[in-house]
Amino acid sequence: MTVTEAPRDTALEAAAPSLSAPPTGLAAVVGSGDPRTIGKLFVGTSLLFLVASAVAGALVGIEQYDSAGNEIFGAATAVRVFTLHETTLLFLGLLPLLVGLATAVVPLQVGAATLAFPRASAAAYWVWLVSGGLVLASYGIDGGPYGTELDAVGLYIAGLVTVAVALTVATISVVTTVLTLRAPGMSLRRTPLFSWSMVVGGTVWLLTLPVLGGVLLLTYLDLRYGQQFLGGADGVYDRVAWLFWQPTLYMAAVPALGIIADVVPVFARRRHQRHAGAMFLLGLAAALGFGAWAQLGVSIDGSIAPTPWLYDGPWIVVGVAAVVPVLGLLGLWTRTLAKGKVRLGTPLILAQFAGLLMLVGVAAGVATVIEDLELVGTTWMTAQTLLVLTGAVVAGLAGVAFWAPKLYGKLVPDGFTRLGGTLVFLGALVAAVPQAVAGLAFDQARFFAGGVGTVDAGDLDTVETLDLVSGVGLAVVALGLLVAGLALARRRSGEGPGNDPWDGHTLEWATSSPPAIGHFASLPPITSEAPLYDARHAAQAAATDSTEASS
Amino acid sequence: MATATTDLEVFTGAPPAPPPRPRVLLAGTTLAAGSAAMVVLTLIAIYARLRDDVIGSGEVWLPEGSNLQLTPGSMGMATLALSLVTVAWIVQALRNDDRGHALMAFAISLLLGAAYINGVAFGWQQLGLGVTSSTQALLIYTITGLHVAMTGVGMLYLAVMGFRSVGGQLTGRAAEGVSAAALYWYVTVGVYAVVWYTITITK
Repeated sequence: MTVTEAPRDTALEAAAPSLSAPPTGLAAVVGSGDPRTIGKLFVGTSLLFLVASAVAGALVGIEQYDSAGNEIFGAATAVRVFTLHETTLLFLGLLPLLVGLATAVVPLQVGAATLAFPRASAAAYWVWLVSGGLVLASYGIDGGPYGTELDAVGLYIAGLVTVAVALTVATISVVTTVLTLRAPGMSLRRTPLFSWSMVVGGTVWLLTLPVLGGVLLLTYLDLRYGQQFLGGADGVYDRVAWLFWQPTLYMAAVPALGIIADVVPVFARRRHQRHAGAMFLLGLAAALGFGAWAQLGVSIDGSIAPTPWLYDGPWIVVGVAAVVPVLGLLGLWTRTLAKGKVRLGTPLILAQFAGLLMLVGVAAGVATVIEDLELVGTTWMTAQTLLVLTGAVVAGLAGVAFWAPKLYGKLVPDGFTRLGGTLVFLGALVAAVPQAVAGLAFDQARFFAGGVGTVDAGDLDTVETLDLVSGVGLAVVALGLLVAGLALARRRSGEGPGNDPWDGHTLEWATSSPPAIGHFASLPPITSEAPLYDARHAAQAAATDSTEASS
Repeated sequence: MATATTDLEVFTGAPPAPPPRPRVLLAGTTLAAGSAAMVVLTLIAIYARLRDDVIGSGEVWLPEGSNLQLTPGSMGMATLALSLVTVAWIVQALRNDDRGHALMAFAISLLLGAAYINGVAFGWQQLGLGVTSSTQALLIYTITGLHVAMTGVGMLYLAVMGFRSVGGQLTGRAAEGVSAAALYWYVTVGVYAVVWYTITITK
């Protein structure tokens, strides 16, 4: 415990002249407790995992098309690759992308010298990386859900439990930073919206990831000790899949909404309208995203038999209510843009794409709770998962483009980033719409719940074509992520972008790009949620007054 | 009046008070303890649901030949309840800069923690079920084992803070570490109360 304490002091000591030269190269990366370095590692690695996830999804779609004639890896393996696609998308891609951004940006936003527990965050990254590697390796040795090699299935479970622990530790560090290390004058009410979204969304992660950990631990022991009352290797994914369904699905979207909420006012050159209202709506989205109670299909004996009273009441209410915070936030952002002088930068464009995808995803969730449509357990839910999670990924890309000066000391190339984000957006739509149609019109079951077995024989060709189109969409997503990754690799050369290239509103723009160790030599007065916006407008007002006085 | 002016000068000439130390460790521990509690409570929820299903189908929950006695579990609860007092004693003693009492309370708290773990181990011996013998056994061993692990972490946390207070790092003004360790301990005991009621009392 002692090694993670007193980070501010540590940072200040680190900023002081040192007798020994600081480490360079690999030693500087591996041994670093610098939030920016840890954040960059999380962001870069998670983008690679996201590409892997999209490629896996694309291969499954192609495999589904005329599966008798065009086998890539066979139907049995296709189910496992589908679980690889979803597992990687959430646990190795989206959540670490958001945690990484938060690790680098949140201390700057709240005016802290560093993270609350920088060494714990660094340890969390390396544990997450190794565990993520184990999860992927388990698939390579016939493990993972539906695997035939029980030891390798156990490796998947153990890897995923450790991933959950690492993400929990990294989230604790970020949330504690916001709660305890805010600059003088920054009340919680004045916290920037991305940081606030990490507090409320992160808290829900901290209540949900341990539930996954507990369930998986029991599954591991059950598998290991031969009881298999949880369904053995075939039952493993039932214990994981509830994280991809509403309402739990929405917990991953909360920080993504926070990113959009920070990008929109800067590019509208206008203060965020009703900041307190936005905080409430983010809190509401997080509360509705706590869904550990609704583990659809996770009955204890392995059968899909949800508790009736939960699915007749709370599940319907939450499914419908989830659209309220997203619509409310979109309303506030529209109002902010309408009242401002909009500058159409890449982060804003990507933020709009992200908002649109998440809105459609949440609306699809409303349809899911309409019992007569019988969408539960069909690929309609796969489409909803894709829309919400890919929307959050696009928001993450918007965040990377927006905060690139603080992460890398450079702006990312506009063209590449915009192209990459647009491809991900379009690819997600192309991937999701056929899945939704297959679920709605042809009652196609979610892959792991039985493949296309529920589709009428006469509709099989149509459904396979839809699967192929969906696979192509995911291939486009993979291409978009590669282009976005290339944009990061080809950061603009030459002089840096300056401290504040966007005329930002919050404290991260008051320090250098990239920030020095300790972050701030001095802080501006904080009298609202947008201290830099206040200072800029006060200076403009003073300049106007003096011009009028002299004339 | 002259005296008052002199006092004021002395007052304004004094160095400013140090800024209040952010309660980083306390906040972090609160979040970590909440997460740790969720792991055990999740398994308790599974245990309760499965038990309900089995009893609802007209069968007996605990398998034949099992011997889940009330005494070891209740003694464990009583032991941990006592430790609540001794841990609160640590916090209060350090707040008063009474390191002698604080150290005594640290030692007793750790002893009570060890006694609890010993009691659980005794209960396992008496249970008469192998881990692999039934679903019920797997759940009981997993839940109680996880709680023992949670208690072990709490004891380690308390021990580290005990050493730090011996070294003089923790004083009445800066005893946040002890408050954080105490908070974790309280959560651990609270979680055990749920475990005890669900497994030992309701059987």
